[in-house]
Amino acid sequence: MTRFSTPKLASYSALSGAGLLTALVFARPELVALTAPFLLALAAGLALATPPRLSVSVELDENRALEGDDVGARLVLEAATPVDRLDLYLRLPAGIEVEEGRNPVGLHLRAGERRELELRLRATRWGGHVLGPAYARVHDPLGLLVWESKAETRPEIRVYPREDVLRRVLQPRDTQVFTGNEVARTKGQGIEFADIRLWAHGDPLKRVNWRASARRGDLWVNESHPERNTDVILFVDSFAEARHGEKGTLDLAVRATATLADAYVGRRDRVGLIAFGGILRWLVPGMGIVHLYRIVDALLDTQIVLSYYWKEIDVIPPRTLPPNALVIGLSPLLDPRSVGALLDLRARGYDLAVVDVSPVPFAPRPSSGIDAVAYDIWTLRRDALRHRLQSAGVAVAEWRDDKPLQAIVEEVREFRRYARHARV
Amino acid sequence: MVVVYVFTSGGRLADGGGGLATAGLVLLVGGLIVRWPFTIPWAILFAGGGYLLAREGNAAVDGWAAAIGVLLLLAAELASWSMEHDARIKTEPALVVRRAATLGGLVAGALFVNFVLLGAAGLAASAGVLLAAVGVAASVAAVAVVLRMLRA
Repeated sequence: MTRFSTPKLASYSALSGAGLLTALVFARPELVALTAPFLLALAAGLALATPPRLSVSVELDENRALEGDDVGARLVLEAATPVDRLDLYLRLPAGIEVEEGRNPVGLHLRAGERRELELRLRATRWGGHVLGPAYARVHDPLGLLVWESKAETRPEIRVYPREDVLRRVLQPRDTQVFTGNEVARTKGQGIEFADIRLWAHGDPLKRVNWRASARRGDLWVNESHPERNTDVILFVDSFAEARHGEKGTLDLAVRATATLADAYVGRRDRVGLIAFGGILRWLVPGMGIVHLYRIVDALLDTQIVLSYYWKEIDVIPPRTLPPNALVIGLSPLLDPRSVGALLDLRARGYDLAVVDVSPVPFAPRPSSGIDAVAYDIWTLRRDALRHRLQSAGVAVAEWRDDKPLQAIVEEVREFRRYARHARV
Repeated sequence: MVVVYVFTSGGRLADGGGGLATAGLVLLVGGLIVRWPFTIPWAILFAGGGYLLAREGNAAVDGWAAAIGVLLLLAAELASWSMEHDARIKTEPALVVRRAATLGGLVAGALFVNFVLLGAAGLAASAGVLLAAVGVAASVAAVAVVLRMLRA
């Protein structure tokens, strides 16, 4: 621990010296009486000051939690020497708040005492959070000396976004070869009736359509649409965000991505992730609950990193973008690089849908003047950008915080139902 | 209380001394408001200087000096405690009691040392102030040694 002297030590030393000197000069015993208490305080304080030997550690009950959950934490203190007055502060990152307990706290420890201070923390925002460091400041009994140290135990907690429940998701245009929940356009073995054809060697008897066979005089069998899985790529724009206070467009995008990933993984689809921004992150498509956790863990590390480097989708590894995948873009459409990347994906023939995570609610409209005109122009330009994407055949829906995600998914589904996909 | 005592001491320069002590009081209050610790020693210095000024022309040893010295120490300690206090730090009640008890012990010890000092000064007036100062230093050092041994 690093030792410092307080202003009181210098003050009392100066007063003691000045008082004794003045008493000698003026030959007044009363001045010695005025000075003696300060001299006594100085001597007693320095005699009682013992360099503290203290260890501080931080423990967490869980290292994973959901947004809004409470997590128990403990500050464990072990004092080898008496600690007269300890001021202890555990630095908490943004997104973690103290729900119950005292932080910072002032207390006293006896020699050899072990104390555990309980804290109940609330995880208010998703992300990877590192607690600490814990700062300790020890005072001697009379406040003449101070020892300070910093405990480097820094436990990490990963807070997952709280997901909505989606009843229906966007259906991709093309399916893949594995079994899934999506009815494929091809014909094979399945439940959904597709067509009938003439019987061929190897067709099982149970597939014979007896009515058609009776009408036509030959054996005709039923064909079905098989259920296949699909590939879905979640494209998160992390170039820029709009933020007002605790909320921002990136928070909405991350929660929506987690919700969509959960919904598609539940349908046995392969889900991939691209976080396109200052730092590029990707996950090749995969299936299963383990892969879902990989996606959510990758999302937790998503943050806005300022970058002026021009990036195109060529930087994305080809395995991350399978050719028949549905790409769902979640973007505030603020940065031209991300808009360019989305249009580029569409031009390359990808099945693309975009959720415009609107920054408009996070930018209050100025009441008057040229700022209000600029704001109106900005919203009009955003409308024009959405129209441009729709003209290119991209289903776009504007999502504001007050609407549930399911409503936006339905809006995009409606557009896709009536749009025709053109291959160029 | 110190300011009132200085004003009512009846010395030749009591008013001047009272004014100086009052200035010390104002400085201390101002320091408490703006939380400047360096005002404390100056306030004590002004108060002590005012007392000295008020005692000018009075040869007899003032017995109240013992209490005045302890009151000045108490004022400095309480002012220092007030300035150190941070409302964001939630202090355990046991610690507050402990601090108050420590302060009380210090004040009692200082009062005892002062009374012994002034009693000795009154008995051995011919030995002079230097001997009195040496005696105080020796007693304080002895107290410090005892406290250190108890702590160890």
